[in-house]
Amino acid sequence: MTTLHILNAAPTQTSQLSSCLRVLSAGDGIVFCGEAVQALRAGSLAAQQLQGIDPSCKLYALEEDVLARAIDAEALPVTLLDYPAFVALCVAYSRVNSWT
Amino acid sequence: MAKSVLLISRQAPWAGIGAAEALDIALAAGAFDLPLSILFMDDGVLQLLDQQQPQALEQKDLSANLQALPMFGIEQLYVAQHCLTVRGLADNPLALTAERVDDQRIQQLIRQHDYVMTL
Amino acid sequence: MKFVINVLSSSNAPATRRALRFAQAVLAAGHEIVRVFFYQDGVLTASNNLVVAQDQQDIAKQWQAFITENKLDAVVCIAAALRRGVLDQAEAQRYQREAVNLADGYQLSGLGQLHDALQQADRCISFGGE
Repeated sequence: MTTLHILNAAPTQTSQLSSCLRVLSAGDGIVFCGEAVQALRAGSLAAQQLQGIDPSCKLYALEEDVLARAIDAEALPVTLLDYPAFVALCVAYSRVNSWT
Repeated sequence: MAKSVLLISRQAPWAGIGAAEALDIALAAGAFDLPLSILFMDDGVLQLLDQQQPQALEQKDLSANLQALPMFGIEQLYVAQHCLTVRGLADNPLALTAERVDDQRIQQLIRQHDYVMTL
Repeated sequence: MKFVINVLSSSNAPATRRALRFAQAVLAAGHEIVRVFFYQDGVLTASNNLVVAQDQQDIAKQWQAFITENKLDAVVCIAAALRRGVLDQAEAQRYQREAVNLADGYQLSGLGQLHDALQQADRCISFGGE
């Protein structure tokens, strides 16, 4: 039974990402939205941390937030989402943990 | 069988009303006899610190609500050990009985509940 | 699938717009929204007293339209609303306040409504912070 974690704050501002990474289980997913997409910037410390996570954990990002902030997420295996895809993910995972 | 909720409380007690409003969710679940556990994590662990003096800030003491939890049937309280440690509180007595849990146990707790609400 | 959607931020927060777009996609995909629960600063989204500049998206208005057009159950936590100054007729009378500013389509109620919705639903998602 997998969990989809939703992050919305910048990793430079809060401990959302670091705490989430500690409590991630195999097979969980992370959706980056809002300022949390900063974690995907190539060359950032957060992006480096994300390189090291369990490969069974999938990374997703809300496309509108990536575009708005000119994020280059090339280095990471991130799937960009529109809202229909976001909804579908919430159905596919067993529970949604929204970090606020 | 009723669906269970794991409430993850991450706000410091005197940083605003967030911590109190998270606790209200727990008390409401208790009032309706619903299964809810609380995990205190990140700055949320500070809610459990003993000997705080909220009256210095003219604030209502949150610990009154915390002490009420078992009376409302909310007995599964957990506190993230790592978060206590990085705050220099590993050896401090807690104001409430809460089980100290490591990251693996937290992962398990999340998987064991139907819903997780992180506030 | 049945969803509970929690809105925890005011209409000025990007999270509140995200919540709306998500909710719209939930219905478009044929799923059901059991309840939209407004808590913490989310109660401010239910205010009928907001003035938004012409060149900006009026997210509060859009939320209200979405709720009424789809006949959704939109509950605003009464305790959170009172302390943030969002009152309906009954509360304004009870506390002798001048403004009745809970928008049409919303109802003030307790946290029990959140738990009631969770027991009925399959998924719960919250939008808050920024």
